[in-house]
Amino acid sequence: MVLVLALGDLHIPHRAPDLPAKFKSMLVPGKIQHIICTGNLCIKEVHDYLKSLCPDLHITRGEYDEDARYPETKTLTIGQFKLGLCHGHQVVPWGDLDSLAMLQRQLDVDILVTGHTHQFKAYKHEGGVVINPGSATGAYSSITYDVNPSFVLMDIDSLRVVVYVYELIDGEVKVDKIDFKKTATGHS
Amino acid sequence: MGEANNKPQKKRVPEWLNNPMWSAPAPPATSATIIPPEDPPPRRVVPPPPPPKPTPPPPPPPPPSTARSDPSEETSFSGASQSHLIAEFGTALSKKVVNVGELQRLACQGVPDLPGIRPTVWKLLLGYLPADHALWPYELEKKRSQYNAFREELLANPSEITRRMEEKDGMNEKDLSSDEDKGFLSRSEIPHGEHPLSLGETSVWNKYFQESEIVEQIDRDVKRTHPEMEFFSGDTPFAKSNQESLKRILMIFAKLNPGIRYVQGMNEVLAPIFFVFKNDPDLNNEAHVEADTFFCFVEVLSGFRDNFCKQLDNSIVGIRSTISKLSQLLKKHDEELWRHLEVTTKVNPQFYAFRWITLLLTQEFNFTDCLRIWDTLLADPEGPQETLLRICCAMLILVRRRLLAGDFTANLKLLQNYPLSNLDHLLHVANKLRGALPG
Repeated sequence: MVLVLALGDLHIPHRAPDLPAKFKSMLVPGKIQHIICTGNLCIKEVHDYLKSLCPDLHITRGEYDEDARYPETKTLTIGQFKLGLCHGHQVVPWGDLDSLAMLQRQLDVDILVTGHTHQFKAYKHEGGVVINPGSATGAYSSITYDVNPSFVLMDIDSLRVVVYVYELIDGEVKVDKIDFKKTATGHS
Repeated sequence: MGEANNKPQKKRVPEWLNNPMWSAPAPPATSATIIPPEDPPPRRVVPPPPPPKPTPPPPPPPPPSTARSDPSEETSFSGASQSHLIAEFGTALSKKVVNVGELQRLACQGVPDLPGIRPTVWKLLLGYLPADHALWPYELEKKRSQYNAFREELLANPSEITRRMEEKDGMNEKDLSSDEDKGFLSRSEIPHGEHPLSLGETSVWNKYFQESEIVEQIDRDVKRTHPEMEFFSGDTPFAKSNQESLKRILMIFAKLNPGIRYVQGMNEVLAPIFFVFKNDPDLNNEAHVEADTFFCFVEVLSGFRDNFCKQLDNSIVGIRSTISKLSQLLKKHDEELWRHLEVTTKVNPQFYAFRWITLLLTQEFNFTDCLRIWDTLLADPEGPQETLLRICCAMLILVRRRLLAGDFTANLKLLQNYPLSNLDHLLHVANKLRGALPG
């Protein structure tokens, strides 16, 4: 039972001052084992805050991140799953699922976590699953101003993943989930 | 005897204590060393199936001539009287309906260290096994399946719990491979509002994280239990599995008793019970050591629970009150010593008796001696708490010469590292201290 927090596109301080208070009250240290962040934090203070929640922090570079040293992509293995991380502004057309599927195959991961569009998505294809946790602050994107703050918490339990989707809608936190699992030999 | 005088009345030590018969022999050479109790004593004909020996060299089994520090070998008991005792136990245990009073009387003399006797005796004394043999299968089955239910219910992690919730509600797991190859994954409702970051009071996730502190504490304490014994602390899968069992028992106890939860020291009270039951060669009991230990642990602790409850510390049932009962007992039987200890040298009994009492003397003597003391604690009809106090009082009286000659530092040092020379003598003295406390 491993809890992995996936979030990104906070755009602090340029487009948003902070995470929504209702999110912050839930994100306490000691519960989460890993954090994967798609990028566009954009400043060091956000990095430090995330580090305080969980020491195992992985970040990829978004085009507005002030720290240019984050990698373009990252892969890591958690339990039985290989996860890939990439901000997504590099993949053109932005948010195009087929292009993202190609990236996923290149990285050879079961779950690709990517951002940039500020829209939550969870999509399955032959190569695996693509998850976009959206923008944790609800910052506007190049595409739209109408963004609900959202992030994702994955509960990885051997071959099964439960993806909890946290979204702030009209001031209230709504949580729902997506279940999937992979077969032992690989995914179909 | 005039009590209200201002002159300190020197209460003489009872005559029988001065009998030269009780001058203690020199402590046996092996008394303070670490002797793995699972090594069979010489008179056992067939050694019980030993736990798998760890590969790092264990201490060699002591040669038959210097057995483990069994005080009964030291005193004037002849081999014949010991085998007579063994025979009596055999008779008592094989009766269709065990005479518990008789068993108590026998156990107070010390349960023989032959395979299978002590676990059965303890289970009978604690009421885990009913006196009537015929009821044993039924009772055992009932309790053991109850423990397994506890295990399943209370030790599941929140992922499993929420999954079970969903299964009960009739939602099946969607198999990834049975879905279409491509498409957006649909979002579904979370069961009963449960999610990992939930801060709700009744949320299984929230409770899980709150309890993680207790889990860590139990883990730390179990790892520190009896570091000198391979059984508990060895670098072997056997020892690790024993530690896991101890942790599970303590965790389940903590969850079932939210008023007291887990308190440091409970691991020490649990250890002897688990050890005795785990070394039971009876294969029928092998798979159920944990369950049996759990219920017996609860029973043992039930007499002493109040000692572990912080809120009751100052109350009439708490540890302070128990310690003061010990004080009163000492005063009654040996006022000179009492006065010297508490008044003259100001050795507050809390400095030494706290550990003696709350941990049921498990830290004061070597493991084998502890088991012998526990035979008496569990068997004495006066009840474990009264018996414990008498033993503690006897411990003080037996070293009175050194205490009377000592100051605060020397006395405290002595009592916190109690030197036992003759266990049977100690228990005999404790026995003599019977009788109601004044007012």
